Amino acid sequence: MESCLILSVLSDDILSRILDRLLDDSDKKSFRTTCKSFHRVESVNRTRIKFHRPEFIPRLLKNYTCTDTIDFSACPRIHDGSVSVLLSDVSCLGWARRLRKVVLSRTTSLRFTGLEMLVNSCPRLEAVDVSHCYQFGDREAAALSRAAELREVKLDKCLRLTDVGLAKIAIRCGNLEKVSLKWCLEITDLGIDLLTKKCARLRHLSVSYLKISNESLRSISSLNKLEVLLMVGCGFVGDEGLHFIGNGCPSLQVLDVSRCEHVSSAGLISVTRGCKVLQKLNAGYYFLELSTNVFQSFKDLKHLKTIRVDGVRVNDSFFQIISTNCLFLVEVGLSKCEGVDDAGVMQLAYGHPGLKILDLTCCNDLTDMAISAIARSCTKLVCLKLESCSLLTEKSFSFIGLSCVLLEELDLTECCVNDKGLEYLSKCVELQCLRLGICTDISGTGLSYIASNCKNLRELDLYRCLNVGDDGLGFLASGCKKIRNLNLCYCTKITDVGMTYLSQLEELSDLEMRSLFKVTSVGLTALASGCRKLSELDIKHCGNISDAGFWSLGYYSWKLQQINLSFCGVSDVGLCMMMSNLTCLQDVKLVNLTNVSVRGYELALRTSCARLKKVKVLASLRPHLSVELLEALGASGCRIRWD
Amino acid sequence: MTSSKTIVLRSSDGATFEVDEAVALHSLMIKHRIETGGADSTTIDVPEVTGNTLSKVIEYCKKHVEAPNSDDLKSFDTDFVKVDQAVLCHLAKASYYMNIKGLLDLSSKTIADMFKGKTVEQIRETFHIKNDFTPEEEEELRKENSWNLFV
Repeated sequence: MESCLILSVLSDDILSRILDRLLDDSDKKSFRTTCKSFHRVESVNRTRIKFHRPEFIPRLLKNYTCTDTIDFSACPRIHDGSVSVLLSDVSCLGWARRLRKVVLSRTTSLRFTGLEMLVNSCPRLEAVDVSHCYQFGDREAAALSRAAELREVKLDKCLRLTDVGLAKIAIRCGNLEKVSLKWCLEITDLGIDLLTKKCARLRHLSVSYLKISNESLRSISSLNKLEVLLMVGCGFVGDEGLHFIGNGCPSLQVLDVSRCEHVSSAGLISVTRGCKVLQKLNAGYYFLELSTNVFQSFKDLKHLKTIRVDGVRVNDSFFQIISTNCLFLVEVGLSKCEGVDDAGVMQLAYGHPGLKILDLTCCNDLTDMAISAIARSCTKLVCLKLESCSLLTEKSFSFIGLSCVLLEELDLTECCVNDKGLEYLSKCVELQCLRLGICTDISGTGLSYIASNCKNLRELDLYRCLNVGDDGLGFLASGCKKIRNLNLCYCTKITDVGMTYLSQLEELSDLEMRSLFKVTSVGLTALASGCRKLSELDIKHCGNISDAGFWSLGYYSWKLQQINLSFCGVSDVGLCMMMSNLTCLQDVKLVNLTNVSVRGYELALRTSCARLKKVKVLASLRPHLSVELLEALGASGCRIRWD
Repeated sequence: MTSSKTIVLRSSDGATFEVDEAVALHSLMIKHRIETGGADSTTIDVPEVTGNTLSKVIEYCKKHVEAPNSDDLKSFDTDFVKVDQAVLCHLAKASYYMNIKGLLDLSSKTIADMFKGKTVEQIRETFHIKNDFTPEEEEELRKENSWNLFV
């Protein structure tokens, strides 16, 4: 009998390094279940943990004694009480003292009391994410400000945060390096000014969609260490503001000024002339025509790697200047640009053989000639987006398949891809994400080529590929075992047979299958029992699924977090059973369920009201639901959309 | 003409290997020994590593020191780790002890690849690991894994 060398020769430290290289979660879980030594190594190796169920948190925290990063965002029922319980639980003592980073994104039922308790118990806390906690306001900010070591704070969509709350954080947390205030609509110039004065070490700042003016940019320009500035959609900022940035911020590497209505070429030139170490520039939408001066100013940016000018009108001089300068370009974004023609793209391709990401979405004048040039020159391409480039023929796909072998992401939505095209494209064996929406000529034959060769495929979009049927799904199920995201909306030829094939895809977590009216409860049962990792499901308008199908979902689909059941034939009993059994369900769309009575809705929502975060129902239902229910939903932080 | 100094490395089972100093310095552990050992450090003991493994390690260091930019370095590495499990484990241990990052990364990656996509039973079979969990313990673990309690 062969002895076990791996355990006798390799120390825990080496085993830990091997474990580090197992990136797939299922591999890590197999590792820990193999033997006690591996379990011990994994318990100490895991530093980041994301919880899905609150009941088991203490036990897991007790086992994992080295976690310093905890993510509660996917876990239902995180509120002040649950924080208190976790902190006082003797079995897992010490977790709070280790905690350095915590993600509380979308934990809408947590309030300032719970936050205060948490912050007071975690002396090492340096990064907090409370994004999308839309009720988060100044009291919660005050609680956070007690974390003196705070370096990173993410406050996106904290709609009630005002300058007062931001000031508390700024004054007490002088070591802040990364702050995100995207969509915090109450923040004004005053708040930004105080932030910049108190937190001189800021390296990363997002003020996207804020109603700030040029004065804020004057304040921001004093940040010597600022490397990343995101100011998407700042409608009140103009060229004067960018002039401040150009004259300050010597360390700026990344700038996003897309969708800023009142910024023009002049403002952009101030930045390109002033911020010499700029690496990434996103200036899309609202620059109706970029002047030649702007492109010429790119010459001075010796480190420029990324240019995105989506939605802009470009001309020949753009391509000419970019190809002869900006020699380190790795990413170019020309999505929805006017004036992108074959000649321009050919120049771009030949000038930049090192290009890795190229976005030509809706550049619909392009023909096979442009793709030929891209394929011949840009052989290191990793991501190529050609949505709506409908003039392309099979030749383009053969060029891509022959030369762009490193491609991982390919978007050919509405590019009239057919089975022959897929045969060519299947040579891109590294493909992970493939979008073929509205390519109605694709059938099972084409998919068989993809299934035989593209073993790393994780995401496949077959939206409105009307000719895809059960046989195509059969090929995918046997060949592309790693698929996680699948869009089969309106592929109406699919029947229960196809669903049974899909049940073999063990990694499937996100499935969209709207309007598949041939699928019945037999098919849904097969899917639910096979795809145990299913987490998001859209079966809107699948009218032929009877209650039995929904019973199966309720019985098998433990991990379901999001579901769209609108216009389905579920009854009161089926809905209640599903909503009470599926304890991870947080986001439900229940519009127009004709077989569900008012009482059914009331019961179903009651059983799950502590867990739900988002509900969508018909507006006509509102007067019929009880006041207590609506209050309970509101109290636990659930948002209701009345359709 | 510059004379290249040689170092003698002695394995746990007494085998000696004479190597150029430049090659020996690829191991940071040896580099440290030489730098702190004084003038008399021409023979260095490597008691954690047997002769067979040490000779392979030296082969790796030679290739990476003498031709670091050659085109066939990648294929050399790929072929280098086409060995049986025992040799692979000993290489990983030796590279860890001797602090040779490239070889440690290469061997741990190769061993990690042997785990990928396998079930628990398949892993135990591949590495001849005995299941030392009680049936109850194993059941608990499988529940924890399948209920997706965490990621």
